[in-house]
Parts: sequence; structure tokens; C-alpha cells
Amino acid sequence: MSGRRPVVSLRRINAIALNTFTELTRLKVFYFLLLFALLLIGSSALMARITFQQELQVLKDVALGAMSIFASLLAILATARLLPQDVEDRTIYTILAKPVERFEYLAGKLGGVLLLLALSVLLMSVVFFVVLFLRQQTLLAETARQMTGLPSAEAADAQANIRHAGVTTTLVLAIVIIYCKAALLASLTLFISTFATTNIFTIVTTVFVYFIGHLQGTAREYWLQNAGSTVGRRLFLGAIALFFPDLQLFNVVDDVAAGAVVPVTLFAKTAGLGVAYTAIYLLFAWAVFYRKEL
Amino acid sequence: MTDPAVALEKITKTFPVPFQRRVIVALRDVSLRVSTGEIYGLLGPNGSGKSTTLKIILGLVSPTRGQVQIFGHDAASAQSRANVGFLPESPYFPKYLTAAEMLSFYGKLCGMRRRELAKRVDELLELVGLTAARDRRLGTFSKGMLQRIGLAQAVINEPEMVVLDEPTAGVDPAGTRVIRDLILELKRRGVTILLSSHLLGQVQEICDRIGILANGALVRDGRVDELLIAPDQTELVLEHASPQLVDRISKAAAEGGASVIRAAPRHRSLEQVFLEATTEK
Amino acid sequence: MRLGAVVIAVVLFGATKLPLEHQLDAAHRRLGLRAVEFNLDLREQIGQLGFIAALSGFRAIVADMLFIEAHAAWEQTDWARVLLLFREVTTLQPREVLFWDMAAWHMAWNASTAAVNDRSQPRETLRIKAQREYFALGKDFLERGIRNNPDRPQLYEALARLYRDKYRDHERASEWFAKAAAVPGAMSYDRRFAAYELSYCEGREQQAYERLRALYDEGEKERLPTLLKRLKFLEEQLNIPPDQRIPEVVR
Repeated sequence: MSGRRPVVSLRRINAIALNTFTELTRLKVFYFLLLFALLLIGSSALMARITFQQELQVLKDVALGAMSIFASLLAILATARLLPQDVEDRTIYTILAKPVERFEYLAGKLGGVLLLLALSVLLMSVVFFVVLFLRQQTLLAETARQMTGLPSAEAADAQANIRHAGVTTTLVLAIVIIYCKAALLASLTLFISTFATTNIFTIVTTVFVYFIGHLQGTAREYWLQNAGSTVGRRLFLGAIALFFPDLQLFNVVDDVAAGAVVPVTLFAKTAGLGVAYTAIYLLFAWAVFYRKEL
Repeated sequence: MTDPAVALEKITKTFPVPFQRRVIVALRDVSLRVSTGEIYGLLGPNGSGKSTTLKIILGLVSPTRGQVQIFGHDAASAQSRANVGFLPESPYFPKYLTAAEMLSFYGKLCGMRRRELAKRVDELLELVGLTAARDRRLGTFSKGMLQRIGLAQAVINEPEMVVLDEPTAGVDPAGTRVIRDLILELKRRGVTILLSSHLLGQVQEICDRIGILANGALVRDGRVDELLIAPDQTELVLEHASPQLVDRISKAAAEGGASVIRAAPRHRSLEQVFLEATTEK
Repeated sequence: MRLGAVVIAVVLFGATKLPLEHQLDAAHRRLGLRAVEFNLDLREQIGQLGFIAALSGFRAIVADMLFIEAHAAWEQTDWARVLLLFREVTTLQPREVLFWDMAAWHMAWNASTAAVNDRSQPRETLRIKAQREYFALGKDFLERGIRNNPDRPQLYEALARLYRDKYRDHERASEWFAKAAAVPGAMSYDRRFAAYELSYCEGREQQAYERLRALYDEGEKERLPTLLKRLKFLEEQLNIPPDQRIPEVVR
């Protein structure tokens, strides 16, 4: 056997990823962006009743929260149907009958979803930042008007406060974390779909893991502190700690929106954990899929 | 020595039945060889194991026992598929791609470079007669057109062998004829062809060798002409023969120790009638 | 079976990632990011549905929704409900300074005023008692908010204002303004306000004078009308020799 052929070909992964991406975009998934824009604009209309300062705050909370929901939902729903659809349409046979490794096929499929998620998060960020910027400009103008006659230093302070509440690096980093969480969920969904028998099973299981994942941190800390009175309870907590990802770690975003100062290294570590999970679930998916009978 | 295109060695495939201790035997000790350059037809009723055999050859399913070699490579390796094209039964290709986009997608999966790919796509569209439909979405294609573009997809990387699962299922006779001609054209170019079908007439017409599967076992395997020869029978087709002449021939046969089994007007095949009618100007 | 092997791999990976997650979690806690405890108390407060939503990563949004509800309750002057909702909001989103600030403001400013003007309560002592209780509720919100956000100046400032405007406790007000001024990102007036408040405290005049004088000496930027007025007042009080006094303001 000749060893010329590389084990994994990026070109093939690329071709499958782009094809998957095209397939997903034809499903008109981007309509949810419209919903997102409406939500933001609608919520800022509602906010008009509250004071200015709160408005930017609530706008950020709503935007980041909605981005997190949309990205997570999109990741789960788009990925869950990929493999079953390909089997049903028999396109999986034509693809795997080419000299394509099964790992390349899975990586390509995941790549397509990640591309879709990246574009969606990017578009949502643009909508969000535009709305935020416009509201911020209005606030700056209002404040300037209200503060005429006050000492210039105080006016400057107030203006600086408003600017600080606008688009910042921390906000961008928070969006990166939202993306990492969605990527993790997509990879997890792909893994589950390699042994699931139906679409619904995949979605329900992923949503289940999603909820448990938010409690994993609490279970883990309990377990590590040797808490839990009975052997059964300890086993249960241990299983949760070992099997599930700690999704609560990615909710650092909530605190960022609130204005908590989070060091860049912590962002990097959280993002790193997300990337590691994404890669590991892809490997698990491959382990199940590589000799699967189709 | 050149390796055969396909060599199945005592293949057995069983599927476990979930939650039960039984297994279903899909294939039992099947040995089969396809030589390079020939058209091999795999026949059998539904559920006889045709599709499983093809999937094993393509490495989509691994055999429970036995050896599969494709041009000397283990069928499980992606390498074995570098020289093989496949058209599954009634395939569905991404509706949103145009004919040309679809072909270049599959070309890329074969690791083809952009330049050679563009040339090859044009060439294949020409070959399967879809040049005019080049930029049409596959969603608008008829069954026959889909099958033709599917065939083009199977040979995008100029494989030495193509595997066709029911290539004419659901296609009208005119389309069937086009596909048949394409298959013969591929054979002329030296491509080995392995096809499964239950349209016996078609198989008889184009295959060099056939194998018949029944209940997971290969019950016949050999050259079509040899398998079809009825021992001790000779066929005689006469034109403008009067009943008296037929009578005399029967008598002569009886004198020679033979007997005429059947004497009736010769029927044309419905396919011939259909084609004649639909291609009239 | 292969699935079995995968399960073992998942567990092995779980064991590897466990310390990493634990470490990251600890880092989050050190920064006060995981201050929300999901327990029965919280569930009782925000109800089953809200609890699930909050659990699944939509904590911030649930908090916002409750915040808007609190706003509606305020418009209907339903003070008990405002209090309840703000307790939920601040429990869900303790890192949001604004929520603490708003909670305290509604209690100490709005609810207290409503209580003292409550026509349905004929006895004035009870009205004043209710007012003091609302002051205390506001103070409590601010103190808990500061514990959750020691790194942000806004709540120190709000507490200082509460002492100044509601309790009329200038000494405490001065203390909290000074604390606010010590936090990075504080407003420039916090230092000044701390000194002004001190100037109202009997017995602290000398100290207040020194602080105000130091601010004055920093330059034009600090020489604001109130500062000049308080400085003049203290110069009189302390009998500062004329040659050391600041020049008269020419208006």
C-alpha cells in the first residue's frame, strides 16, 4: 500500500464543510436574525420607560442572552439532522464511496455547522453593535444637553461612563465565549447523532445534557468535597461530574454584561476549554462512526 | 499478475437483531470475482443480499467473516475507493446545487485540482448529454437526468471500476437506453462495471458475466452466454415461412431424431415497439 | 463493543478535564462570578419556570424580565411587590450594580416618601416608623450590593448619598464617599463630597479644613463654588490667620 495519501485531507474536509454550509443556508435559517433584530429593537422600545443608564445595561443583557439562546438552538437543531438526512437521501453513500475517510466526513459536517454559527454570531453581533452604538450616541447627546452648566470634569465623567457601557473588548470576548459554547454543543450533538436512531432522540438527549451541564459544576464541587451521604449518591454525583461538561463556566457572559471585570487570561482559558470539548466530542463521534454500518 | 477488480472471498455478513439473541444472515459464504474490463451483473430478488454485497465492496459495511479486495486493496481502506465510482439506488443529490456544482463537489472529494476538474466537468456533462442543463438546479431534474448526472458523478475521477445499484430503477425506456449506451461507452473505455438489477432483459443485453443471489447465497455465477444456453436446443428464426414449410421442417426434424418444441410468430419486445413509436418523427 | 470503549474514553476524558474545570471554577469564584447559589430558596422566590430558565443559562434575561416587572410594580406603587421583585433580581444578577442601586433607591427614596405621606395611616409615629424601615431596606440592599461588588464605586457612592440625604449622618456619608473615591474608576467629585460632608461634622472641622485646603491647592480644577464656600466657612470657624486664607472670590 502506498503511503502517499495524507491521513486527513483538509481539501476534502473543506469541500464537505462548504457543501454542508450551503445546505444549511438553503434552509432559510437566517430568518431568526430578523427575530433577533426585532427583539433588540422591541426591547429598547420597552426600555424607553426606564432610565437611560439602565437602558444600555438591559440592551446588553437581552442581546447577549438572545445570542446565546439562538446560537445554542441553531447548533443543536442544525447538527442533529445532518447525519440522518444524509443517510435518508443516500448522499452519504455517494460521499463515502469516494476516497473520503469517515473522519473527514464528520469533520467536514461539523466544519459546515461551525461556519454557519460563526456567520450567525457575526451577523447578530453587527445588529447588536449597531443598535448599541445608536442608543449610546443618543444617550451621549442627551447627557451633554442635561449637563450643560455643570462642571466640565463631571460632564466628562458621565460621558466616560456611558462610553464604558458601549462596545468594548470585553463584550467582544464575551461573544467569543458564546460561540465556543455553541461549537461545543454542535460537536456534542454530532457525537450523539452518530449512535442515535432518530432525530428526536438526538435533540432530546442534547437538551438533556445541556440542562445537566449547567448543574455539573454544583455536582462536581459536592463530589470533590466528598459530600453526599450514601454510596449511591456519591456514584451519581461522580457520574455527572465525569460524563458532562460544565456549561455554567461559559455563563461568565452574564456577569460580563453586568459589567464585571474579567481578565483576558480567564477568557482564554474558558475558550480553550470550549475548543478542547469540541475537539474531543468530534473524536468520540469518529470512534463510534468509523466502523458504523450504513 | 494483475489483481482482479473485485475479489470476495467467503464473505459472511450477519446483522444482530436488537434486544434479541438472534442474528439475521444477510450473506453466507459468498465468493465472487469481477475481472478488469468486464460488465458484471448481480441479480436477485429483493432482500437477496445484492445491496449488502455492493456496500461491502464499497467499504460502507464491513463483513462479519471473509476477505474483500478491490484492485488488491482491503475494501475498508479509503485507498480502495480511489479507483471506484458509485451510483446508489435512486440517489438524491443536493437539490440546491447545479449540475456543474454537484460534479465539482464530488471531484473535490476525490482530491482533484481546480483546473483538471473544470475540464473534466465539461467533458462529463457532454458525455451524459447534460451540457444544456449545466447551470440548472438538480431540484428541477427528471429521474432520468438525475440518473445520468449520478453516473457522471460516479466517474468524475476516471475510476477503473464503477458500481451501479439499480441504475435504471424508475427510469423510462428511452432514459434506460441512454444509460445502457453510457454503460457500454464506459466499457469501451476500459472501465470495469459492476451493476445490480432485477431487470433481467437489460442485464442479459449488456452483461458479460452475471451472478445470481438468493437468500444470501450466490447460486449461479458465470458468463451470460454460457448460462443462457439451453443444452440440446437450437433456435431457428425464419422470415416469410409458410405453414407448409414449417410442417415440412417439423417432419424433417422428427426423422433426424429431434422435435420442434414451439413454432409461433415471433414477438418483438415491448421496448422495441415503444422506442420505435416514441422516436418516430 | 465499541460503544463500551467510547463510554470508557468519555470517563477517562472526564477524569482529565475535572481538575481543569475545578480550577477554572475556582478562578471564577475568586472574581465573584459564581455568586448565585441555585437552591430551594431561589426556586421559591422565582418559581419553577424562572428557576429552570435561570439554571439553563438565561439567568441575565430572567433578571431583566423581573426588573421590568419591578418597574411596572413601582408605577402602581405596589411597594411590597417592588421589594420582592428586587430581591429576586439582585439574587439572580448580583454583579449588576444598577439593580442594587435601583432597589435601594426605590426603597429609601420612593417607598419611604410614600410611607411618610400615607393618608390611610393617621398616626404620625407609625408613618415615620415605616419610613425608617424603608431607609433600612435601602441601606441593606446597598450593603449587600457592595459585598458582591467591592470593586465598583457606584454603590459606595449611593450609600454615602443615603446617609447624607436620608439619615443626615454626615460622618458616615463622608466615610462612604471617601471609600468610593478610593475605588478605581470613581467619579472625581467623590473626594470633594467626602470633604464637604466632613465639614458639617462638629469636632472634625480641622480635618475637613485640611482636606479642602489640599484640594484647593491642587489647582483651578477643584476650586468650585461649593468648595470655596465650605472653605470660607471653615476658615471662619477655625479662625485661620488672614494671610493663610484663600483670596476672596470676586463675583
